[in-house]
Amino acid sequence: MENITDINQIKMAVLCKIAEYAYEGTLDDKKDGIPDELTDPIKPSFRCCVYREREILRQRVRLGMGRLPAGLHYSNENGSQIVYVMKAACEGCPIDRFTVTNNCHNCLAQKCIKACKFGAITKTPHGAYIDKSKCKKCGQCVKACPYNAIVDIERPCIKSCPVEAVDMDSNDLAKIDTNRCLNCGQCVQNCPFGAIGTVSMMTNVINSITRGIPVYAMIAPSIEGQFGTASIPALRAAIKDLGFKDCYEVALGADAVAWREAEELAEKIQQGKKMTTSCCPAFYNMIQKHYPEVRDCVSTTISPMMATARLIRAKDPDAEIVFIGPCIAKKNEVVSRYIDEINAAMTFDELGAMFTVKNIDPEEYEDTAQEATRYGKGFAKSGGVAAAVAKVFEEKGLEPPKLKACNGWAECKVALQMLKLGRLSEDIIEGMNCEGGCVNGPCKQTDLIISRRVFDKNVNVDKTEIVKNCMENGFEDIEMHKH
Amino acid sequence: MDIYVCVGSSCHLKNSKAVIDKLNSRIKKENLEDKVALRGAFCMGKCSNQGVSVKVDNNVYSVTEENADDFFDKNILGIG
Repeated sequence: MENITDINQIKMAVLCKIAEYAYEGTLDDKKDGIPDELTDPIKPSFRCCVYREREILRQRVRLGMGRLPAGLHYSNENGSQIVYVMKAACEGCPIDRFTVTNNCHNCLAQKCIKACKFGAITKTPHGAYIDKSKCKKCGQCVKACPYNAIVDIERPCIKSCPVEAVDMDSNDLAKIDTNRCLNCGQCVQNCPFGAIGTVSMMTNVINSITRGIPVYAMIAPSIEGQFGTASIPALRAAIKDLGFKDCYEVALGADAVAWREAEELAEKIQQGKKMTTSCCPAFYNMIQKHYPEVRDCVSTTISPMMATARLIRAKDPDAEIVFIGPCIAKKNEVVSRYIDEINAAMTFDELGAMFTVKNIDPEEYEDTAQEATRYGKGFAKSGGVAAAVAKVFEEKGLEPPKLKACNGWAECKVALQMLKLGRLSEDIIEGMNCEGGCVNGPCKQTDLIISRRVFDKNVNVDKTEIVKNCMENGFEDIEMHKH
Repeated sequence: MDIYVCVGSSCHLKNSKAVIDKLNSRIKKENLEDKVALRGAFCMGKCSNQGVSVKVDNNVYSVTEENADDFFDKNILGIG
């Protein structure tokens, strides 16, 4: 038994066991034993008792094997849903948002009472009291108290959701409204108990590899800095040693997207129309589900992942193609829209588990061959897509477009609202649901502060001509529009 | 119309990829791209079925590479 105590350790321990047994071909026999293997016989290490720990691990094993948490059954409207609450792991955080703590001095200024426009706060001998039935959750009392005695303890899952898709069930446990959910994974990374998980396709990938099927990996540019100082060429070599037939940079597809999206934008500008990018799948889902009025503005160019997949497919029609990135919504993009072209999507934590069980350290590889330009690679950071599109405008000698780069979902929502109201002054919205861009995606392996240094250094490759690079790699013949 | 093909680990081993390829080629052949969407889905709780679980209009079918054409004729085109 390993000593696992935090969320990441729990997640990785389960993924490593699944990867190990999947490579061995013994997963079916051993899956039920994983919760026992990872817990002490008696002494709990991360929850109240070993039985709850084992139930949580059992749910994680199910998700890790591409099943839904027990008790949930497939329903028609949300078959491609990726993000699920593991009810056994949900702590049922306090349901009252605003609470008076014992920092309340029962002062005479009574600023909280005066600040409340709804008469919800009264003075008692023990301090201020908030009447829940009158409270409208405006938060004015929190700002007013000179002692910081009133706290906003909104559930982290609910608070982190960009689109109010998280709610509570009749037992006060977290519940996701799949019709609203973007599958962006904000709740997954913000739940302090790790109670929200994602379905994995890792075992499919390993099974195909061990059966000798040609499996191709495509890695997102945000991978730089995620596995120590390993560069993309080194990672491509390391990934091939996992059993993949070959590994491509998605940044190569990003070059092609920048090229075609720039052409599309130039046309739109001539017609006096606005455009949004479509490479961030959470941003795409946000428009489709919550801003249907601006659907026509979404770029019809495929995502860099799709462009790369079509390039691989053109070379090997029998290829099984797998995307590997920091992104949970990408799994949803693949499963709900492109399952006929891409066979699976994986995340960096799942890739990390495969490296661990195969004893592969990408930092030990010294390959240097680059495929993409620094602009294609730049898609991983907020502002990078817009910068690449602007670069193509420059290469073609066109007047530069007006860019609106939205860093994180809050900025995306503001810009989409402006677009909806016809008040957007820029020509193109670059939408990235994660603050900082994909380098800060929900399945990142390394904190942004550390990964940023490696990323910024590695991304500055010699290739800088986007259109030239697209031509050299055969993108002229690749269909770059959504079907 | 949405056709959901299970891509969970059990159906993957039963070759859900071949079923997807087959259904996809039929959709293209019948020019139904605008009317029929092929989507992936996760476990429908019918792993003991012989074939890959495929859901259309809330009904789950067991589809293999061999009977995919029959399935398509009967449940998507509504003939035969």
